[in-house]
Amino acid sequence: MTAPSTRALASRALRASAQQPRWRRALVSTAYFVVPLVVVIGLWQLGTMLNKNPFFPQPFAIIANLWKLLFGSEKAVQDVFVGEFLMTVGRMALGFAIGAAWGVVIGTLIGLNRNAREVVSPIVEFLRSIPATATLPLFIILLGGGDDMRVVFIAYGVSWFVLINTAAGVGSIHKTMLDVGKAFRVSPARRLFAIILPAALPKIFAGLRIASTAALLLAIVSEFMLALNGIGFSLVVAQSKFNLLTMWSWMLALAILGLIVNSLLEFIERRVLAWHRLSRQKV
Amino acid sequence: MTATSPRRSSRRFNAGTLWRGLAGVAGLVALLEIVSRSGIIGTTYLPPFDAVLWRALQLWVDPEFLANVGQTMLTYLLGMLIAAVIAIPLGIVFGLVNPVYRAARALIELIRPIPPVALIPLVLLALGNGLNMKLVIVVFAAVWPIMFNTLYGVHDVDPYQKEMGRSFGLGRFAIIRRIVIPAASPFIMTGVRIASSIALIVVITVELISPGGAKGIGAYIAAQQLSYQDSAITYLAVLAATITSGVLGLVVNLVIGWAERRWFAWDTTAKDGV
Repeated sequence: MTAPSTRALASRALRASAQQPRWRRALVSTAYFVVPLVVVIGLWQLGTMLNKNPFFPQPFAIIANLWKLLFGSEKAVQDVFVGEFLMTVGRMALGFAIGAAWGVVIGTLIGLNRNAREVVSPIVEFLRSIPATATLPLFIILLGGGDDMRVVFIAYGVSWFVLINTAAGVGSIHKTMLDVGKAFRVSPARRLFAIILPAALPKIFAGLRIASTAALLLAIVSEFMLALNGIGFSLVVAQSKFNLLTMWSWMLALAILGLIVNSLLEFIERRVLAWHRLSRQKV
Repeated sequence: MTATSPRRSSRRFNAGTLWRGLAGVAGLVALLEIVSRSGIIGTTYLPPFDAVLWRALQLWVDPEFLANVGQTMLTYLLGMLIAAVIAIPLGIVFGLVNPVYRAARALIELIRPIPPVALIPLVLLALGNGLNMKLVIVVFAAVWPIMFNTLYGVHDVDPYQKEMGRSFGLGRFAIIRRIVIPAASPFIMTGVRIASSIALIVVITVELISPGGAKGIGAYIAAQQLSYQDSAITYLAVLAATITSGVLGLVVNLVIGWAERRWFAWDTTAKDGV
């Protein structure tokens, strides 16, 4: 095996970087994170200070306004934080939980039985092709404009991602694994929880990650129509008042919220699927 | 054979699969028809299914509806095109030059989680209600999957192939054009497929939320919701339009899936490169 020179160089570079003290590598990656942000925000701040544009407020004003919106109102302390921000989070979380549970249960049932899968797959394929948000008027007609409608709507939209991934994960388990379970006379319930679901877990989590992004989107959309509170509602109110600064602030809040949800799910996934990565590495 | 390409063999239709699928659809239609006719749930909320189907079919000869479909598809196609033109070069640059990607990452991670629909009120004020507004939001939604999949594809290119190109005297851009892009194209196609379904959802959502100026299927559904006094007729009209939007989504999915298999089937990694 004669490795090309660049390969050798690369591996040497890798070793060199591994020999670098840890604090130094941490410093470099922090710098990579902080410096571009500071530069861009600084340029934006400078640009908006020199050239005032109503559509692009100053970034510091956006941050300050968000802080004031969420925590600083004099009349009712933390009213907005609870009444708007947490309302959206609550709807999203509840809808996500119901939709994910429903998706996992139905997806497992479909995935376990090949015949069932073939019977329902055209129906599933069609129903999930209906853009979830296009069904919002239907949900409003059926269930009214209340919060229960919103949660059901989010759950409905979210469930497809989980259902399809679960069915695919359960359906693609190697037959040997199932046969081993049968050979050892493992009870069906234990086979489900100890063999089938763990094997399908990586795929299920992939579905959950997409679903969490969708849940936030659907929550916002559902609050655009007939809502009385929530981030989506606040955005519409700010729009009707031409309050661009507040709209930017809510967008920042959404970015932070999305970031938190993503990292939370990633954290859980790393915890739950640690065994999976280890087993992959050894093979 | 089956061990090396399980995906492809499962894609191939056999008669049993087809019949079972048809049986499922027929069963559901029959069930809906019986339940809706029997009046257990009430004809307001579950109109006779054949009436819904008939209404959905009638939509395809309704010039007003077809004009709305045309608007939606135009926005969708233009948005996908613009998103691809922005995202593919960005993905290639990020994939080839790691420091640039690391520097851009903080910003990307902060911008990406914003739901595209949250931009609607702001962009609506800035650009007014029309094609431009819709395009900005669709492009914002569709750029991410294409960019990240391009990036993964570029990372996945065999370094020896680039090495070989270099030793044959290819320049930097020739290597990108002849080696990197072809090798990454299955990944790019996967990104396009994911972006496509997101783009369609976003187009219809934008039309739904900001009716009035913007035309499209979403605006049509919203108008149906408001245009009748009788709730049963309203419900029927909304249901039919919603089902029709599903047909459109299905057609778009099938076309993209077909294109992916037709032109990029040679690569086995493409299917897993989400």
